[in-house]
Amino acid sequence: MRQETGRKAVRPETGYAVVWCRDFRLQAVRRHVQRLGPVALVDDARRQSIVLCANEAASRHGVAAGMPTVQAIARCPDLQVDRPSEAAELAARCLLLETALAWVPGVEETAPGILTLDLSTQPGDRWFDGAWTLRQALEDRGIEIVAGLGATPALARLAAQAALHEDEAIWLLPEDGRLERLDRLPLVLGETGPELREKLTLWGIQSLGAFARLRREAIAARLGDEAVELWLRLHGRLRRPLQFVKPGERFEAHHEFEVGVAEREPLVFLLRRFLGELSGRIADVGRVVASMHLLLSFSDGASYGRRLVPPEPTLDEEVLLRLATGHLENVEMRSTVASLRLWLEDSDPVASQRVFFGTGLRNRHRCEETLARLRRLVGADRVGSPRRINSHRPEIFARAPLPVELGENRGDPPGPPVSGPTLRRYAVARRATVRMREGRPFRIEAPGVSGVVNAVHGPWKSEGDWWHRGRGWERVEWDVDLLHQGLFRLVGTTRGWTLEGYYD
Amino acid sequence: MPDVATRLNAVKSLRKELGSRLFFGTDLLREFGKNGAGEAFPPAGGVAGESGIAGLVAGLRPGRLTEVVVAGPSQGGGLVLAALLARARLEGSYAMLFDVGSGFAVESFPDRDLETLLWVGCDSVLQAVTAFDIAARDENFRWFVLDGREGKSEDWRAVRPSLWQRISLLLRERGAAGLILARTPVTGVSKDRHEVTARFGLEALHAERSRLFSAVRVGQGSGNHGEGGRRRLAG
Repeated sequence: MRQETGRKAVRPETGYAVVWCRDFRLQAVRRHVQRLGPVALVDDARRQSIVLCANEAASRHGVAAGMPTVQAIARCPDLQVDRPSEAAELAARCLLLETALAWVPGVEETAPGILTLDLSTQPGDRWFDGAWTLRQALEDRGIEIVAGLGATPALARLAAQAALHEDEAIWLLPEDGRLERLDRLPLVLGETGPELREKLTLWGIQSLGAFARLRREAIAARLGDEAVELWLRLHGRLRRPLQFVKPGERFEAHHEFEVGVAEREPLVFLLRRFLGELSGRIADVGRVVASMHLLLSFSDGASYGRRLVPPEPTLDEEVLLRLATGHLENVEMRSTVASLRLWLEDSDPVASQRVFFGTGLRNRHRCEETLARLRRLVGADRVGSPRRINSHRPEIFARAPLPVELGENRGDPPGPPVSGPTLRRYAVARRATVRMREGRPFRIEAPGVSGVVNAVHGPWKSEGDWWHRGRGWERVEWDVDLLHQGLFRLVGTTRGWTLEGYYD
Repeated sequence: MPDVATRLNAVKSLRKELGSRLFFGTDLLREFGKNGAGEAFPPAGGVAGESGIAGLVAGLRPGRLTEVVVAGPSQGGGLVLAALLARARLEGSYAMLFDVGSGFAVESFPDRDLETLLWVGCDSVLQAVTAFDIAARDENFRWFVLDGREGKSEDWRAVRPSLWQRISLLLRERGAAGLILARTPVTGVSKDRHEVTARFGLEALHAERSRLFSAVRVGQGSGNHGEGGRRRLAG
């Protein structure tokens, strides 16, 4: 009989984590605001303003959800109030999701601020460290969470509630010793109805551990389905499929100003914050920023939107900020800004291997910034890499973008050598008076340049664009050597003679 | 054979150490050349074995501002620009031209030399110097040419000396070379100044350009140091 050695059936470990953000709506609003002391989120939309949630400091003063705001302030005179913000909540939800997705691919958004994570893709010995890293990553971005780890989603949720109750960062409900740990938890964490809790209390059952030690048949006979469901949950026998979310496809942030903003500084401040958040989220999913959409809404109902594209996809916040603020400087603000929206398009990171002994632009972003500043100074049509165009018409050439990379082969290509000095044109061709002798220029008089022609080459006749109505041109060129002056190009057209430039 | 992660880490650490100095392999060659020869660039004013404009351009120093004074038309100023563009192309580095009066004639230069050139058309000397001040911060460009042959003397004098100082400092920081083409000396900040003179006849229009380079006489400019020099600046 052949003996199989070294092979062992590996059963994947199943486990779940529940990430719980306490007072999520409040945290979403104030995660960028460093406020110490009692804070409450209030709902002003109703006829009577009421408290939606409050932080621990406020709760210690007796402020509770559902309480009228007036009463809450009476109980806690130092209470600071905030209004809920859908935009802030959306941003916080996206942040939570994407941070969790950076750890595991299976994430369910159970409720706003509560995520259930399937840890089966991770080795069991790394669950705790992973949860801790997740907590740190979110804390760095202004969101405080607790996490519960358990064998089923229900146990993980219970563990998260235990963490909130025990004021611990991460709570574990392992297979071994589960009942002992449940002994520490009150019945209220079982999320059952008050009638069942009251009945169990009358029976002398004070903890979930004590309840779990009862026999299932006895519970079913005396307490009904709700109690059986709790018993199954506590024993890890109740499982439900998770509804996983897809990775975020829209990286967007927006802010509505309570009072219209007339200056650019607050906009730049917000842009910096948005870019920090959104680029961090994009980095978490292993992608980079390909373009930015900037949308400003003004108080008079007008709006302004622009897509800004960096020279190459990047995650550099400073580069993106310079691009956005550089553009913002040129936006004409006729009325105050009511809201600012920023949406980043993501793309794959650029994966290219440069030619080792080739050269090219060292910093494309810097180059684009320089070009933008130069264009603002001299005009957009006067910056570019000059290129000949397929025409004999003088003075015109194309402005091409600089090549990003230059090849290795930079030697002289085969072909005839370049000849002659270079031509330099005057900014404005100088009108000239030309005296002819035997059909050739003999003496030239023009502003700044006058003299006798020592030698002359020509005439060189050219014409073109006659097939376009009104754009045709025709000219006669002479290369003239003016005595003691130099070499010049003399041009004769139907409008007379001009000195176009000189050879240098 | 080390594993992939080890090799990647080694490359990362090497890049971290050398990244700020060496971006391309050609930089590495330049570094080797510097270490081996002791002097990567020939001294200002030319190199042994090369004369005329070729020697002048070969001797341009990185990190310095150099003036080339061309007294009038057909004295070889355009050839200095042509030689510099050819050098930039051979080195595989980018050049920027601030063209006062926008008189650059694209047909006078071979296409291959235009690939690495960024042209900036300017209305005045002051605009060109301002553009120079902006662009000198960009590490992508190794050569800057301010062609102010059509600039007026009073325009040159209107440029604040502090602006020249800042440009000079930026060039030194970036290791880029700046060249000013003008009719007269324009600033005391430039460390090197050359006067270019030539006398071309019409036959030069058909002569090989490389021969014209050596036909131009290059002399050390006057008045680039000391009070006497400052008095003679800008006409």
